[in-house]
Amino acid sequence: MLPIDAAAHSSRWRRRHPVDKAVLGLGLTVLAISLPPWPGAALVLLTALVVLLGPAGVPGRRLWRAYRVPLGFCVTGALTLLVRVGGPGGFVSLAGDGPVRAGELLLRTSAASLGVLLFAFTTPMSDLLPRLVRAGIPAPVVDVALVTYRMSFLLLDCVRRIREAQAARLGHTSRAAEWRSLAGLGATAFVRAFDRATRLQAGLAGRGYDGTLRVLVPEARVSVPFTAASCALLATLAALTFVLERPLT
Amino acid sequence: MHIAEGFLPPAHAVAWGVASAPFVVHGVRSLTREVREHPESTLLLGASGAFTFVLSALKLPSVTGSCSHPTGTGLGAILFRPPIMAVLGTITLLFQALLLAHGGLTTLGANVFSMAIVGPWAGYAVYALLRRSNAPLMVAVFSGAFVADLSTYCVTSVQLALAFPDPGSGFLGALAKFGSIFAVTQIPLAVSEGLLTVLVMRLLVQSSKGELTRLGVLLTRKQSRTETEAVAR
Repeated sequence: MLPIDAAAHSSRWRRRHPVDKAVLGLGLTVLAISLPPWPGAALVLLTALVVLLGPAGVPGRRLWRAYRVPLGFCVTGALTLLVRVGGPGGFVSLAGDGPVRAGELLLRTSAASLGVLLFAFTTPMSDLLPRLVRAGIPAPVVDVALVTYRMSFLLLDCVRRIREAQAARLGHTSRAAEWRSLAGLGATAFVRAFDRATRLQAGLAGRGYDGTLRVLVPEARVSVPFTAASCALLATLAALTFVLERPLT
Repeated sequence: MHIAEGFLPPAHAVAWGVASAPFVVHGVRSLTREVREHPESTLLLGASGAFTFVLSALKLPSVTGSCSHPTGTGLGAILFRPPIMAVLGTITLLFQALLLAHGGLTTLGANVFSMAIVGPWAGYAVYALLRRSNAPLMVAVFSGAFVADLSTYCVTSVQLALAFPDPGSGFLGALAKFGSIFAVTQIPLAVSEGLLTVLVMRLLVQSSKGELTRLGVLLTRKQSRTETEAVAR
């Protein structure tokens, strides 16, 4: 299992309805990209961090391991805003407002990423996917997504074991060997995926498979107090941004 | 490269979502029709989605010495066709955003447009064109994967340039800026992905002829005989 999904399965908010968590987490993300970066995104970032480490109970180290991935992309992307092409300073020169634009972009992306991480760290995929049918996604697409999700872990495990076996047979000692091993890995993953699908099909056919995959979804109800509190928090953040915007800029 | 969460302004995020929607809806319709007619396809399509997800997790040795991962759009489009790849790509990108914190939900539309729509369609067009002009399978596969990878990054450059125009030279300056950064890293990576796809396809031709024929990548004996007769005539 992947670290974020594993954390979601043992989360304090695991039994909450995904709508509760979507309103809070995705609401924070929407606020982060729609409010002015300073002080809006900064407030969202702070709030998301407090909620993640406090009430949601996500361990700090796990959060950092997941957060550093998007943070790395954000920093790399923001660096390009520091330079300008053409103009009086030559073909490439430092942009006058580059640091401000880069800083705003960093604030916005890091706050938005935390909002999504709040949702991802508290909502297992297995709780979310079956409920998407009620949101209007066609059942066959949700079924394909469910099979994809469950088979991904088996394939990732397969790939890890194949890599270990290749390494034990000196499959990564030279560049040529590495390419051969990588190609073998890709091809074996394809063969294994199709083999598993065929065997799964045979097993399901023996159990009267009619084209729909029925799975048990843990019972949960949308909590009105939780959703109302989340909406109140989001509204407060938006109001606070507009109040603080002028004095702080 | 996936555009990170929150990287695009709201108007751009919505616009790319709207641009992607018709292709994804078309793909969803094809997939739904396929599953209704052949219920057993659910499992094969799920396996294909998992394969695409795993493919993007493979580490690719780059010519520059660093490491990256293949987009998998070229191989996916050749094996499963672009409309199905639009849906499988969307599912994969959603999983990457939520399970790996790679990409994002607000940037899902933009990422789907570059990786699940333009990449597969461009790669498949080149592959199909070369196959029709009787080019060898592996040449068509290499070209398809190369073009799919490169077109994905070209579209990502355009998306970023539109969102962040250069203060001095506007959209074109920003496109040159993002394009040149990608060109240094992505042309070698596109070559690497093309080579890897050829190697994978060679192994698949040896070990999984049945699956490739079922997917329409290889011709059945009857089809190839008909084609040979047509050429002879």
